[in-house]
Amino acid sequence: MSDKPQVTVFAARRIVTLDPSLPIATHVAVRDGRVLATGGAELVAQFGGRLDDRFAGKVLVPGFVEGHGHATDGLMWRAPYVGFFPRTAPNGQPAGGFKSIAEVVAHLRQVEISMTDPDQPLVAWGFDPIYFDGPRMTVADLDQISATRMVVVAHVSGHILNVNTKVLDKAGFSPDSNLDGLVRDGHGRLTGELQGPAVMGRANRATGDGGLLRALDVPGLRDYGRIAQRVGVTTSTDLANALTPDNVAALRAATNEADFPIRLVPAMRAREYSLDDGLARIAELKTMSTDKLRFGLVKLVVDGSIQGFTARLRWPGYHNGAPNGLWYVAPGELEGIVTAYHGAGHHLHIHTNGDEASELATEMVGRAIAAHPRRDHRHTLQHCQMADSGIFRRMQTFGMCVNLFANHIFYWGEQHAALTMGPSRVRHLDACATALACGVPLAIHSDTPVTPVDPRFTMWCAVNRLSSAGRVLGEHERITPLQALHAVTLGAAYTLKLDHLLGSIEVGKFADFAVLEDDPLTVDPVTIKDIPVVATVMGGQVFTAS
Amino acid sequence: MIPLTVIGGFLGAGKTTLVNHLLSSAHKRWGVLVNDFGAINVDAALIAAQDGQTMALTNGCVCCSLGDDLGDALATIAMRQPEHVIVEASGVSDPWKIAQLALIEPGFLLEPLVVLVDTPALLAQLGDRWVGDTVARQLAFAEIIVLNKCDQASAATRAAVRARMQDLRPEAVLLEATGAVLAEATLSFTPASRPAVSRFYAEAVGHHFPTYALPAEIAFDRDRLRAVLGDLPRSVLRIKGVCQLGADAKPVLLQYAAERWAFTPAPAGLPSGLVVIGTPELPPQSELADQFAAAALD
Ligand SMILES: [Zn+2]
Repeated sequence: MSDKPQVTVFAARRIVTLDPSLPIATHVAVRDGRVLATGGAELVAQFGGRLDDRFAGKVLVPGFVEGHGHATDGLMWRAPYVGFFPRTAPNGQPAGGFKSIAEVVAHLRQVEISMTDPDQPLVAWGFDPIYFDGPRMTVADLDQISATRMVVVAHVSGHILNVNTKVLDKAGFSPDSNLDGLVRDGHGRLTGELQGPAVMGRANRATGDGGLLRALDVPGLRDYGRIAQRVGVTTSTDLANALTPDNVAALRAATNEADFPIRLVPAMRAREYSLDDGLARIAELKTMSTDKLRFGLVKLVVDGSIQGFTARLRWPGYHNGAPNGLWYVAPGELEGIVTAYHGAGHHLHIHTNGDEASELATEMVGRAIAAHPRRDHRHTLQHCQMADSGIFRRMQTFGMCVNLFANHIFYWGEQHAALTMGPSRVRHLDACATALACGVPLAIHSDTPVTPVDPRFTMWCAVNRLSSAGRVLGEHERITPLQALHAVTLGAAYTLKLDHLLGSIEVGKFADFAVLEDDPLTVDPVTIKDIPVVATVMGGQVFTAS
Repeated sequence: MIPLTVIGGFLGAGKTTLVNHLLSSAHKRWGVLVNDFGAINVDAALIAAQDGQTMALTNGCVCCSLGDDLGDALATIAMRQPEHVIVEASGVSDPWKIAQLALIEPGFLLEPLVVLVDTPALLAQLGDRWVGDTVARQLAFAEIIVLNKCDQASAATRAAVRARMQDLRPEAVLLEATGAVLAEATLSFTPASRPAVSRFYAEAVGHHFPTYALPAEIAFDRDRLRAVLGDLPRSVLRIKGVCQLGADAKPVLLQYAAERWAFTPAPAGLPSGLVVIGTPELPPQSELADQFAAAALD
């Protein structure tokens, strides 16, 4: 009897399985890291299992799947976080929550005092001044932190840096210069605000990247695992990784650790490779997958971001009249790339923010399918934030999936209403209900570290569509809690071609659960984001959230 | 200072062909930054050494991949001491954004922004729903527009393209070319300032940019100089030279291009004085000299 595999039966107040043959259960039997059975208390006797009732008062849902996150989140915490909204560091400590420029400056002065090497740049991240009234941050603010050390404050949007005089000097930005991307004050002098990749890249070079562009290493991956696990995630993408041999070695080392708490699904950044090399590399990677590290996704990027005014929009363009963004890849080239990867049987995740980019990518997938008919490709548009029903209908026709950036509704919805999309189009910002109505398989995401990974919050955004100002943006695009739960579990798993292995609590699938204090399907929907996560179970192994 | 020329233009306009010509029939040591290293197609016999992102040729030329940061790539290529650097902008980028950044690269002098067009395809490209605005934006600050593939375009098409260029960018010099073959002098504002490779090359130069010098012995008031620079007409394509800004005694190098400018520490040995380069509509020398004189520190 001793070599008979151990069966554990977890008891819970309620288990939301997303299994249509038994949507709600109270017990789940686990063997070999997989779900053996779901049902009631009878499972203990039926399967000779050991009862584990530590979650008896809790609610189990399928482990959350972050369908668009970046494991670089785990690296960010080596630099101070100065965001408006509090975030949780990998060690579980709260960080940020600064409500004024003065608070940010005061915090960074403390950090500066603790630094020992005078040549080490001080680089902070997550700055979010759109919520502040009054003047913008200037070089004078940052010179108060240090006149001799380089100081950089990166905005959470990813498109702006504030720097001190030391960085302006080192980067060769004379205070009297006038170049695109260098913000000047009423006297024509540089304010230290740098906008856009060209001038930001130059400042990053001056500071030696300041650490924000470090390569992912094992400690960084461990930290990301901790951050994601704490909010109930059991599987996360790392949705753009060069996947060099060094990158893969770090991913394998981290995910092979017995206590690494999540499964990782990295996507190969296609632009790192020529077309032939990329096709060869993804084919090679697919043979290297393990239960906790799954290769196969290919990431393409078609345009930039809406709030950075680098997305490609259809008529009437940006609400404030800003010029349209430029393609990151020419339409003709995109067709060639999509057709090549599709033709070779690979799985594309395509970043499109503006509606014109989504329209173009959909068209190119359609052409690729015409050239190489193939079912079940599950090519997925990532972000796809401005798509309307016309685009979703075509996506459905071509068998495409979507992963919408629901967190944007809260974090940037008011900006989109005022500046980028205007009051009408913002109603279908991240149009979850329309996607579902059109029959497009749906996931929703955080794009962490752009916004914090937390599927409860992402569900809350899709269900309530509340902006940071507390108003509903697009009431008709709200989805139900069940639809939202599906979108952060089975729906996301479907876009990753992992829905046969995870995303629901069904016999044969990985025993991956999020253990919650309450049921997201029955609580007041505006409290979904506040339901405490007690623990996760991954492959039958329990990881507590605290 | 190393002259630097940015070459823009949509995919298929002939940028890579031009780069291949320059590298394989070099009359000087070109340093070339390209987006797609793999597209460079020089005779294997000409390759002296190749490592990852850099390729050195037996004729002294060197070719590097542009990567994510122009400054990084320029620093790499400057170590090879090229006589002239060419930056090939990507086919979907705005070459003017790249050219501007070169204004603040120490050791480089920005030469004309050259934009190639696929003459037989251009009118269709400008009308294309997806790429029309990109192609127009690439031309918006061009100083030399090369109508390439003219052998494949009818006289009527060439005339129509010239008319569109007159609308889009009247300040630019238009040149016709076939197979992206250009006189090397086209890549500089001041072909006469260095020895011509041959009489034929010198005479082949089809463009002419009025150029004159302004004295800048005096120090400028920062605010008034900014006002002057901010008000210059579009016929002023470049101002470059050494001057003094404010009461600060250190000389600075001013580089101005199309309503954008940068000051960098002046390299040793350059005399003070500004060179103005423009289109035939450039205001008279005396008029600009008066404007700059009025910006002098009291
Ligand atoms: Zn992302």
